[in-house]
Amino acid sequence: MLALVAPSILFMALFFVAPLGLFLFRSVDNSEVPGWLPRTVAALSSWSGAGLPEEPAFRALAEDLAALSGSTALPLLGRRLNHDVPGFRTLITATGNRVDPARRGSMREQLIGIDPRWGEPLYWQTIRRERHALTWFYLLSALDLRYGAAGGLERAPVESAIFLDLLGRTLGISAVVTLICVLLGFPVAATMAGSSPARANALLILVLVPFWTSLLVRSTAWVILLQNQGVVNQALVGLGVLEKPVPLIFNRLGLYIAMVHVLLPFMVLPLYSVLKGIRPELMRAAASLGAAPWTAFLRVYVPQALPGLVAGASLVFVLALGYYITPALVGGPGDQMIGYFIAYFTNTAVNWGMASALGTILLLVVTLIYLALGRIVGLERLAVR
Amino acid sequence: MPKPSRLWIALVVALTAWTGIAHAQTKLVVGNAGGSSADAERKVFYGPFAAANKIQIQEESFNQELAKLRSQVETGNLIWDMVSTTAINVATGCEEGLLEKIDWSKYMDPKVFQDVGGLSECGVPYLFVSGGLAYDGNRIKEGPKTWADFWNVTKWPGKRGMLYRAEQTFEVALMADGVPPPKAMEVLAAPGGVDRALKKLEALKPNIHWWKNGAESITLLSSGEVAMAYAWNGRVASANKTNNLNLKMELGAGHVSGCQYWAIMKGSKNKELAIKFIQYAVSAQPQADFVRVISYGPANRDAYALLTDQEKATLPAKHMDKASLQLGKLYLGFWLANGDALLQRFVKFAAQ
Repeated sequence: MLALVAPSILFMALFFVAPLGLFLFRSVDNSEVPGWLPRTVAALSSWSGAGLPEEPAFRALAEDLAALSGSTALPLLGRRLNHDVPGFRTLITATGNRVDPARRGSMREQLIGIDPRWGEPLYWQTIRRERHALTWFYLLSALDLRYGAAGGLERAPVESAIFLDLLGRTLGISAVVTLICVLLGFPVAATMAGSSPARANALLILVLVPFWTSLLVRSTAWVILLQNQGVVNQALVGLGVLEKPVPLIFNRLGLYIAMVHVLLPFMVLPLYSVLKGIRPELMRAAASLGAAPWTAFLRVYVPQALPGLVAGASLVFVLALGYYITPALVGGPGDQMIGYFIAYFTNTAVNWGMASALGTILLLVVTLIYLALGRIVGLERLAVR
Repeated sequence: MPKPSRLWIALVVALTAWTGIAHAQTKLVVGNAGGSSADAERKVFYGPFAAANKIQIQEESFNQELAKLRSQVETGNLIWDMVSTTAINVATGCEEGLLEKIDWSKYMDPKVFQDVGGLSECGVPYLFVSGGLAYDGNRIKEGPKTWADFWNVTKWPGKRGMLYRAEQTFEVALMADGVPPPKAMEVLAAPGGVDRALKKLEALKPNIHWWKNGAESITLLSSGEVAMAYAWNGRVASANKTNNLNLKMELGAGHVSGCQYWAIMKGSKNKELAIKFIQYAVSAQPQADFVRVISYGPANRDAYALLTDQEKATLPAKHMDKASLQLGKLYLGFWLANGDALLQRFVKFAAQ
């Protein structure tokens, strides 16, 4: 028995648990600063953080940066610190390339001479705060929080606080899409389950064909259909139903239409497989015992359909959370989802800490939702019998 | 056993010859943007160079994700030999040791690239792309002349297509606010510059339709979904050519222009061959041929002499005094330091 499951457990550990763990670790990993600025970190640990540090700290920084000069570590350290304070990157690279710790005289004067920003406490406080091997910086930023000048936590400035909004919007859009999928998918799956095999197969093909079409093609097709100069609007205006085109796409409505279209098969397929197993006699038995059709449906059919409903809804919800290409194509500026920023930080900005932090927060929130759902619905009722 | 050993020798010789032939066909792997620009590159650069040198050029998709360069170089598992990339990525990739530093002046004349900002330590410019004011000449007879006209929705009603990005869009907003295009970067980087750009965008925001990729800007214009749009000149010209459209560009209103560069991946085994390719691709004749196919400007100024006036119509040659250039210390320094923070601010602004 154990020998049979061992390969799949090993596979999961290697290709799922380990990468996931590494990815979660990225959101707190801060090895760059203590790794590349060892002397500075040591010198700053005894500094109170008020005003400017003493000469030994300036000397330590000069020596650390001089040691990195010419290597690729210098711009990478700059990139890391630039996440905390915009402009830190150029400060680090310019200083590293010019500093000379062997020169006589005060290092403090030399550094401030190279760039007057070394005379501002902000940059020193940032290095001091990020001196440990682990950091809360990314996770806090992902929650629109940051460290204030006094050391306590404060909210990010209104104009750049976007991640809580994005998280809420992502969850909201996914929830609405899931709900629409349930309302549309249930009748389809129930009809399929109640039809003759030939008709059920025909319906199944209708569900599957769009499922095999590329996501991009389907999203773009909706643009062609729904835009102001598109088929639907032109037809409605031509028929005299509308006076002028109504915006059907590049807004939330268009996003719901396109996402539901893409995700509906994920609702119908698991639901169908469960509904198929419900014996029709049970409904007739309920009717013969005096239940009205509605009561029979709610108290006999739905409880048995629940595992399929929850499986389909979970699948749709989780897939919807990760969407960012469809919102980019058919949504408006107020419809972007968190995946857009995860992709941006991963690919373009190469800020993997921030990408991981956003992913971690999303993962935590979804886990909480599932635990809460499990408590309310009862996990044992969800087993497919 | 003389017979089998002779057979063995014959086999070994045949195998060696065969693998030898297989290896003679060297392969150069290029990361490029795909789509119509890659089609043009294949026709003008890759095809002729591969045929003349009896090599194979393989293309891979690269949408300017710096992460793709970093993961290849850091893991030591190089898949690409060279890339087509932007000024910002050349600067970062060069500094962070992802691209080869090469003394290009040994291989080409640096003077011919001076108009477009010159050679960079790691990259050679090969096309000059301009983003500017575009509209459909069949729908608008009396066209807009300035970015202030672009903002004027009473005289020219209808939506405006703009790039969903802080970079380029902020520069254009400042031009609309009366900043001379060559000064746009300076004003933007100065205190209050970002606020000024956002304030100007705020005024037009209800009428803005944000687009995210170049193809979208053209469909928006040609379908009449927007009346005017910020669009890239190569896209406009090739849409006119292939779809028989009458899109116009008013580059005199001010434009945001920059180069696309060739750069070689750090540690590429085919470095010499890649240099040879770049040498070929930036020489005057292929540069002029490239303009004819895609209608982006050439980086090599000698190519202009080979072009007709009609071919130069969507090129900014006459309006270089109206350019906000996507190169130089100020531009690179500003966007490298503030790019992430400003994108967040921009996204928040656009969503409100």
